[in-house]
Amino acid sequence: MAAIIKESQSIKEAVTLINKIDLNKFSRLLSRILQKLHLKEERTFSEEEEQKLQGALSLDKQSVSLVLETTAFILEQAVYHNVKPASLNQQLENIHLSSEKADVFCQIWTTAGPHVLDQVRQRIFAPKKLEHIGWELNLQMARSTHAKLKEPHAVLELGLRNEDSVRVDNVSLEFSHQQLLEFYNKLETVQAQLDSLT
Amino acid sequence: MSSIHAKVAVGSSTDSSFLGGRIPTEIEIMAKHLKDVDQEIFRKILKVVVNAIEGKDCREAIKTIAENAALPEERLTFVVAGMYRLLKEALRIPMSSLKQEVFKEDLRQLRIPEEFITDFSSVVFGNRRTTLEAVAIQKGPKLPCIEDCRWRVDVAISTSALSRALQPSILMQMKLSDGRAHRFEMSVSKFQELRYNVALILKEMNDLEKKSILKIQD
Repeated sequence: MAAIIKESQSIKEAVTLINKIDLNKFSRLLSRILQKLHLKEERTFSEEEEQKLQGALSLDKQSVSLVLETTAFILEQAVYHNVKPASLNQQLENIHLSSEKADVFCQIWTTAGPHVLDQVRQRIFAPKKLEHIGWELNLQMARSTHAKLKEPHAVLELGLRNEDSVRVDNVSLEFSHQQLLEFYNKLETVQAQLDSLT
Repeated sequence: MSSIHAKVAVGSSTDSSFLGGRIPTEIEIMAKHLKDVDQEIFRKILKVVVNAIEGKDCREAIKTIAENAALPEERLTFVVAGMYRLLKEALRIPMSSLKQEVFKEDLRQLRIPEEFITDFSSVVFGNRRTTLEAVAIQKGPKLPCIEDCRWRVDVAISTSALSRALQPSILMQMKLSDGRAHRFEMSVSKFQELRYNVALILKEMNDLEKKSILKIQD
């Protein structure tokens, strides 16, 4: 496999720093970064936490960000190329990461990697995505224009999340039995298409 | 005790009208003003009122009648208001619950001339009924429904985060009856959740329709 991480000047500097970090601390740092990797819009550590890291790792501000960015970059590359653990180990050796640190990388990548890959795969690009589904089944008994009704009506609630906000837009839709059946048949067609993919 | 009372009320046609215990004022006043109205004019007015119930703009038509008919404007107003109320009340009740003979008898009780009763009856029980009911359903209060729904299944080949993603997703575009449109994407698992829930509602609906509560005749 071609090198997924080139040994640039900043990588060299970062590797020197990482090699000096306590193994236990680095292991925890690594799993935190991997956990948050799929959340593009969120930073892994808050500014306050980064300040604390400076103390814990005995590094200055610049070095802490270099370590964090490089570690995230390596993991992103691993995700992008869907690297096998053994291959990752090789790649890390090539940039002269100490073998104990490379082992930690591989260990975490082996256990958490598949899940992270899946999360990244599920990421949706459209500005709105379907997040919540709720429904209600009503029996309509009467209306201003009709007495003595007995009509089942379904209300489907679709919670659509806008990419750039925490707000979920709820869209309520009403269905008669016939309308719901038509909608269901449409979904069945989609399902058939999905089935034909595998 | 109450069941006995109910039976008595159903049994006697004299004190149970389709209009309920108290006859609406508009209808009572109309009945008084219908005397000596020419049947041709009556039919013209009736036609306009039916059109109005169907949701058409009838301002011009009623103006024409007011200008040409030999009916004073005040009387015309009373007749129009009463007709509208009477038809609205009658159309509310499903055909299965209101017998034509009962309806006619109720109008006789109000002393509405026989030839007009026939005309009213032909609106309520005639072939226009289906249209009138369809309009009523359309105009009733309701949440928006789906007017048009299009979908697309995409398979992402590569993304900025993955060289080989090969991940399907579903893009859905819905046009609603209130004019709004929504376009959103969902993962396969979300889609399956949606499909499962819609199937579940359908099942619940079927179960509900089988329940005896729906089979009780009014």
